[in-house]
Amino acid sequence: MNAPLTLAHYMTVAGLLFLIGVFGALTRRNIIGILMSIELMFNAANINLAAFDRFLHPEGVTGQALALFVMTVAAAEIVVGLALLLAIYRGTDTVYAEDFNLLRG
Amino acid sequence: MIEHAYLIPLIPLAASALMHFGAKEDPHSPAPWIGVVAMAICLGMSLSILSAVASGSVAVPYEHNWPWFSFAASIGGKSFIYDMPVGVLIDGPAAVLLVVVTLVSLMVQIYSIAYMHDDTRYMRYFGFVSFFTASMLGLVVSSNLLVGFMSWELMGLASYLLIGFWFEKDGPTEAQKKAFMTTKLGDSGLYVALLFLFAKVGSFQLTQIHHFYDKGYMPAAAAAAIAIGLLFGAMGKSAQFPLFIWLPDAMEGPTPGSALIHAATMVAAGIFLVSRTYFCFLAAPQVMHAAAWIGCATAFLAAAMALVSYDIKRVLAFSTVSQLGFMMCALGVGGYTAGLFHLTTHAFFKALLFLGAGSVIHSVHTNDLRLMGGLSKKMIVSFFTILAAIAAISGIPFTSGYYSKDMILANIWHSGDRPLFFIMLFTALMTAFYMSRLFILAFWGEARDHEKHHHAHESPFLMTGPLVLLAFLALTSGFMLDRHGLVYKLLPKPTISVMPGEVAREHAPPATLVSATMPAEGGEHAAAPSEAKAEEHAPAHEAAAEHGEHHEGHLPHALHLALPFLVLGSIGFAFFLYKGPDYAAAESLKATFAPVFTVLDRRWYLDDAFDLLVVFCDKVAALAFWIDANVVDRVFVDGWGLLMRIVSEISNLIDALFVDRTVDGFGGLSLDLGVGLRGLVKDGQVQEYLMYVAIAFSLAATLILTR
Repeated sequence: MNAPLTLAHYMTVAGLLFLIGVFGALTRRNIIGILMSIELMFNAANINLAAFDRFLHPEGVTGQALALFVMTVAAAEIVVGLALLLAIYRGTDTVYAEDFNLLRG
Repeated sequence: MIEHAYLIPLIPLAASALMHFGAKEDPHSPAPWIGVVAMAICLGMSLSILSAVASGSVAVPYEHNWPWFSFAASIGGKSFIYDMPVGVLIDGPAAVLLVVVTLVSLMVQIYSIAYMHDDTRYMRYFGFVSFFTASMLGLVVSSNLLVGFMSWELMGLASYLLIGFWFEKDGPTEAQKKAFMTTKLGDSGLYVALLFLFAKVGSFQLTQIHHFYDKGYMPAAAAAAIAIGLLFGAMGKSAQFPLFIWLPDAMEGPTPGSALIHAATMVAAGIFLVSRTYFCFLAAPQVMHAAAWIGCATAFLAAAMALVSYDIKRVLAFSTVSQLGFMMCALGVGGYTAGLFHLTTHAFFKALLFLGAGSVIHSVHTNDLRLMGGLSKKMIVSFFTILAAIAAISGIPFTSGYYSKDMILANIWHSGDRPLFFIMLFTALMTAFYMSRLFILAFWGEARDHEKHHHAHESPFLMTGPLVLLAFLALTSGFMLDRHGLVYKLLPKPTISVMPGEVAREHAPPATLVSATMPAEGGEHAAAPSEAKAEEHAPAHEAAAEHGEHHEGHLPHALHLALPFLVLGSIGFAFFLYKGPDYAAAESLKATFAPVFTVLDRRWYLDDAFDLLVVFCDKVAALAFWIDANVVDRVFVDGWGLLMRIVSEISNLIDALFVDRTVDGFGGLSLDLGVGLRGLVKDGQVQEYLMYVAIAFSLAATLILTR
């Protein structure tokens, strides 16, 4: 139980988190759920950034800084997403992704 | 002064440009004096160089080179760097020629100021004359055969411009084309020779080429080929048989221009080229022998033509050709000094003759000797100066022509070729005859055309002044140069120590060869200084030394004494035939030998032969054109086109049937596939798209990771 944490551990966690995100994004009908799943995938990537930085270049904090940037951008992006959702909901009275097919070709 | 020798061609060139582009066309413009002053400066420089060379205060040959360009070439796997310097090489002959050219050109220009005063293209004429002289001077001073060749060609251009100066008339236009094309024919030989020389030696520098020859590196066959090419170039420029046809027509230009062409520049260039590359000829004795006979044929044929012509300038042109034949013959038998000596003296008296003839033509407005006569009373200066020139060219004792022609004949005598000697002796007597004939017809007796005679007048001072100076030189230059063996000192015959092909047998140590040669390295030829010293330090033994060393310059005593009497006899014969107003004796002789006279009057049918040659070439070209149009075009070009059309029709069919079908098939297949795939997907479902993206991405990732 005292074995130190390696890069592989972090990557496994990040991978699982990413898969959960993918699964959620593909299966949730509610757009809000899909957005949350996308947030999960962002966080998986952030874990990878921080882990790789820590293990490969321990002298700096570039990865952690970048992860903070990603969080900021993700927050901004989710604001846009939710605003769009609100606009769509006002027009169509629904939050289910399968009903949003205005772009069908 | 000799270190500024490069200025000598450049000053007239600048003067020419100034007169061409700087001055307005105006018959009273003082601008021609630019050319005169430029030429006077050059003459001053040349005289100082000549006196320095003659007194021995500068070492000749003097050579100075400036870098021009260099290039790398790879031959047979090895790479070479060729340096092409540009520079001056002044040796004795060059120093003499510089003085001759600048002096004659100066005289011609001063004379022309009066002669050309009412011409509409006054300035252009003087520009041409300066340009012409500059080209010749460039050839004389250049140490580099490539620069020499450029000057040579510029001279061809200048002669073309000057001969066709009055281009409104048909005669000059035809003559300039004839001159240009005939000399270019010769130049092609020179060009090949220069290429060959460069291929063998790897340099255009005269001193280096001489060195190469001197060590016997040049194979005999190559030496012969190069000598033939050089000789061919000289034959064109110096009007040797059979390329002399251009020179008699070249008198269509302004008469002072003719004087320049005949005395100082154009025709002297060929002889000078041969003398400058004399070592190339020494290495090819057969070619030298051929040159001697070509010179002999030229001298004889031209002299014979001069016997019957009634055009004063034409007689002089034929006499130039004949005298050039003498020079070529002298060079051919090894009489280097004699040939160049004659070139020098000939330049003076031939310039004088042409300028004098110009003075006569200016005065009576005709070229026809039959319409002159009795001019001695009207044109006293022209009369006496032309008399001096005729005495010189005929070889009256103690005039310049006497010394130089005597030396040429002596050289031919000592070459041991008796037929050659007797033909040349006979030609020398013919020279005296036709010049006396010209003189008698123009000046002697009574006027034949009284109207022309009445209008005749002496020319202005600007024309008679140069005549008097040239007459002085025509009379005395021979004596001045012949005295104390100066001519041998100034014009020493070049030598080559090893004949081609002998180098394998003579394994002499290179050091001895070098010491005997390489003028570039400050040494003269081994023989020349010793001769010069012998003459300087022992004047008492001069005559003996001369006899010992230059015996080839003297005829056997009996011949030497008999020659003047033969010449006088020839002149007497001319007087006998042409005395009296209607020269009845000559006319009866002409009637008796009518066919001979016709042949001579038709110029040995050489022009007709060249005409036939041109017509023949034209016919051959027409035949070739017919073959081209009917056989080559029909069969090969048209047939090939037809074949190509058939092939492309087939290709088109294949393209339409197979290639296009395949292309269309792929397009259709893609279309069908796309339509089919679209059926699988429910439209507009974001999550479904996302799923495909995820599947595709994970497939790609798997592929990359497992690779």
